[in-house]
Amino acid sequence: MHLAYLDAGSGSLIVQAVVAGFAGIAVAVKLYWRRLTGRFRRQPANADAEAAADKD
Amino acid sequence: MPEPPGGLRPEPGSYRDPRTRVFYSGADVLRGLDAQAAQDWKALAATDFFPAAQAAGRLTPTEEVAGPEPGRWAAVLRHERIPFVSYPYEWSYGMLRDAAALHLDLLRDALGAGLTMKDGTAYNVQWRGAVPQFVDIGSFEPARDGEPWAGYRQFCQTMLYPLMLHAHLGVDFQPWLRGRIDGVEPGQIRPLFGGTRRMLPGVLKHVHLHDAMQARNAERSTGTVRDQLRDAGFNRELVLATVRALAKLVDKLDRPPAATQWVDYRETCGYSGEERAAKAAFVEAALRGAATAGLDLVLDLGANDGAYARQAADRGAYVVAVDSDAGVVDRLYRDLSRAGDRRILPLTMDLADPSPGLGWAGAERSSFADRVAGAAGGRAASGGGTDAVLALALVHHLAIGRNVPLPLIVDWLVGHARTVVVEFVHPEDPMAKRLLANKPEGLFPDYRRDAFEQLLGARCEITRREELPGGTRTLYTGARRG
Repeated sequence: MHLAYLDAGSGSLIVQAVVAGFAGIAVAVKLYWRRLTGRFRRQPANADAEAAADKD
Repeated sequence: MPEPPGGLRPEPGSYRDPRTRVFYSGADVLRGLDAQAAQDWKALAATDFFPAAQAAGRLTPTEEVAGPEPGRWAAVLRHERIPFVSYPYEWSYGMLRDAAALHLDLLRDALGAGLTMKDGTAYNVQWRGAVPQFVDIGSFEPARDGEPWAGYRQFCQTMLYPLMLHAHLGVDFQPWLRGRIDGVEPGQIRPLFGGTRRMLPGVLKHVHLHDAMQARNAERSTGTVRDQLRDAGFNRELVLATVRALAKLVDKLDRPPAATQWVDYRETCGYSGEERAAKAAFVEAALRGAATAGLDLVLDLGANDGAYARQAADRGAYVVAVDSDAGVVDRLYRDLSRAGDRRILPLTMDLADPSPGLGWAGAERSSFADRVAGAAGGRAASGGGTDAVLALALVHHLAIGRNVPLPLIVDWLVGHARTVVVEFVHPEDPMAKRLLANKPEGLFPDYRRDAFEQLLGARCEITRREELPGGTRTLYTGARRG
């Protein structure tokens, strides 16, 4: 796993999507939508399961 | 983490990225790279972007060398030395803005070549005269798909917010940067941008949203958020779009230097043309004398429009031109920058309160005094420091304006250089009178020409003295004894 020496800041990463314009805002909305819908689903065991759940 | 090679002096400011380390070996500036950093360097060196950026002077000239102790580092680079290291809190507004634009330009070009930058700090940029140059070669690494720029937060904190403070609010940014080595945090600047100021360019997204997002995501690791962004479709095009948006914003944040008392000083100072010519001739003669022993580095203290700095630069010196008025320095910088000057570095600093050592152990950013003392221009045999210091129309500001005792001022000037060119403004001069009028009467009984001359003569050899035609100012050239 790659470790950046700099703490990029979790919030600072998401803001960049919004700064990037409409396509970026769509990414941010998708991220938040996934977080939101994720809450109502059973916690997936791993990332693959989460991806599979998203396709339902 | 590899240890720095033995016998070399590590740069105290380069510890933050454990994968690379800058150190000095004689006049050489070297950078050790660990295995990962060496791989990143090879990726950088293989691009077309790297030689092009070097040739354009945007990246500091760098070559790989056989390391002094190759076993300890996977690779060693040698950088061309920066004549005089400076820090963002000593730059004018125009300098910080041009440094920010350079940083973004390079990032945009690097992205085009499949690379990115690990960080985004103003300390990545140094100056050759009025030309900015990116020095942190260790910052480049291959870009990974779906990842935003890791340096965005640092860019905001050390460049974008300071620029906004000045451009949007007319507030000097230098004390903010000098006060915090990592720059201004979104939460610290946000309260200044309430109400309708939210609508100013860049404020809503980069300040308000940024601060809110940081608070909301404080519990999530950057690794988790990176994965979530990648899964949501973040891609390289969006990184480029972010950089383009930032560059556009920096371009928009222009604010010409404000008119202050010292801008246009030359027109309003009340000198006659005759006095000005006499002063220039005196400085010329002093520089000619100093040049016989080499004139590499000259300090112009209280540089104003840089007229004397230019004289020294014409004689081949690299000149650090310091003035306490940030507006004056900005104007000088813009003039020099337009001409592509590479010999005069304008800096803004209150000489009664020069830059201290900052950061870890007070050594990460070295003090102005230490940088002058360690300057390459000074002959080690003659006590180090610079080759000449120009202090014209300065002493009365320190002595009367700031109450610094005359003996301390003379010690300080003589300690800076082999040759000192200094102007003493007599107490009956209109400018001195104006300063004295703000102080209780009789506070400076020792502020007299004979007292000054005695102090100077005790500390160096006065090789030349000349009273200016007005009769209220005297110029001296002093040479360090021995």
